[in-house]
Formats: sequence, structure tokens, C-alpha cells
Amino acid sequence: MDTYLQSGLEALGDATRMAIFQKLAGGPMAVHELAGTLPVSRPAVSQHLRVLKDAGLVTDSKDGTRRIYQLNPEGIALLRAHFEQVWEKAMSPFQASAEQPKTGENRGRDRRRNRRS
Amino acid sequence: MVETAEETVVRKSVRVQVPIERAFSVFVEQMETWWPASHHIAAQPFQTIVVEPRAGGRWYELDAQGSECDWGRVLDWEAPNKVTLSWHLGTDWKFNPDIGMSSEVEIRFTAEGPSTTFVELTHSGIERHGEGYEQLRAMLDSPGAWEGILAEFAKAVESQATN
Repeated sequence: MDTYLQSGLEALGDATRMAIFQKLAGGPMAVHELAGTLPVSRPAVSQHLRVLKDAGLVTDSKDGTRRIYQLNPEGIALLRAHFEQVWEKAMSPFQASAEQPKTGENRGRDRRRNRRS
Repeated sequence: MVETAEETVVRKSVRVQVPIERAFSVFVEQMETWWPASHHIAAQPFQTIVVEPRAGGRWYELDAQGSECDWGRVLDWEAPNKVTLSWHLGTDWKFNPDIGMSSEVEIRFTAEGPSTTFVELTHSGIERHGEGYEQLRAMLDSPGAWEGILAEFAKAVESQATN
């Protein structure tokens, strides 16, 4: 594994955030419930929740004295739409490019051959 | 890889009438021939998109002047059956080197016949780009930009021979 990957994987904070996000995907939860299932402190969970909330990925609501967190469907839908669009735009040209006859391959390919030779 | 909430996964598939080796090769070795030109992150348009053919390799674009701009990394390389890339481009189309903020694109190639290949793309972990949500909303709110994108997308999916 290269050092790039290693340094990235050491970013435990983000792994925790992912874990919180995944748990919320199962349904709304309070901070103490989340903290009870994760190897991090309650303040840490709150901090991660704040980041997720600022990013628009979760919303919170009050239930008596407790604050309940849940995934924000709008935020997720927007992210999903963005990536759906990226690949939607890419897959048809890929199909066309793969199926075009091999002879007279496009210029990008030729340029690269020249670069490498 | 890791189990992911289904709503944070984007799946696309396409059937191409070429042998598996060719499908794989066009996908990773000739990406610049089909990648939408509007989807680049460098100041200049790309001329070549390089996916280094090994796990740990780089994925980057190259402009006419030879300037490189990183897109991601090769997480797994099993030619011609599978390639997995890490996607480090946020919704702002900027490269973020933090792998904790990257999503994962897995492309599987299945030979259905001597000249038929089924290509399945799974882009997972997109919520890791969540910090871009506000920007996406701004784009959506700006007139003409992202208006009706969901409707358009649904239309495109329905009218397409894929999936």
C-alpha cells in the first residue's frame, strides 16, 4: 500500500463519521444511542453529527429533552443525483467508443501512443 | 467492499457488443475517448486520461501541455474482469487527497459471449462527499443549472437500453 493510502486510512475521524452515518441509515437515533454503539465519546459523536448536519446529510429534531438525528433525504438525493448524472453522461459514450471499429482509432489514443513511445 | 446504505450507491450498467478485453481496455486505457469533456478538473481540457494498470496506481488527466491533474487512485486491478478506483473529486470537481473523503468506483466486466460484455459500475460511499451538499443546493437553486435534473435523469434512464 502506498503512503498516500496509509495516511488517508489514518483519518479515523472520517471513519467514525461514516459509521455514524451508516447507523442513521437504519433509522433516527439520539446521540447517546449512537455513542453506545460506537467506540467514541458522546462529545465526539456530537461533533461528528455537527459536521454531518452542516453538510446537510443529517437533520435533527427535539423529542422532549433529547435531540434525535436522522438522515436528510434531500441531501442524500442531491448527492446521488450528482453522481447519477456523472455516470449517466459517461456510459453511453463509453459504449459507443468500445463498439466503434478498431481501425482509425481516435486521436486521443494516437496521441498517447506518441507520448509513450 | 464495506456494506453501504443503498441510497448512497449509484449503479449503472451497459452491455457492449465487444469482447471483454476490448471493453476493459476502452474503459481504462482509452478513457479520454468517451469521458464527457465537460467533466474535467484542470484549467485546460484533458487530452489523455491515465489509469495506471496496477493496484496503488494513479488516475489522472493530462492536458496538451503535459500538466497532470489527479482524479483518484487504483485500489484494485484485475484485468480484464474488474477495476476499482477511488474517487476524490467533490461536487466542486476539485481533487481532495483525503481518502476518508473519497468514494469508490468499482467496474466489473462479465463476458456473456465472445463479443458481448456486460459492464457494471458501482459508485459507493458518495456521502463522503457530503461537504459539497450546500454547493449542490446552490447549483440547483440557480436558474437553468440543475432544474429538473432528477426528472431528466429519470427520462434518460427509461429511454436508454442500459439497465
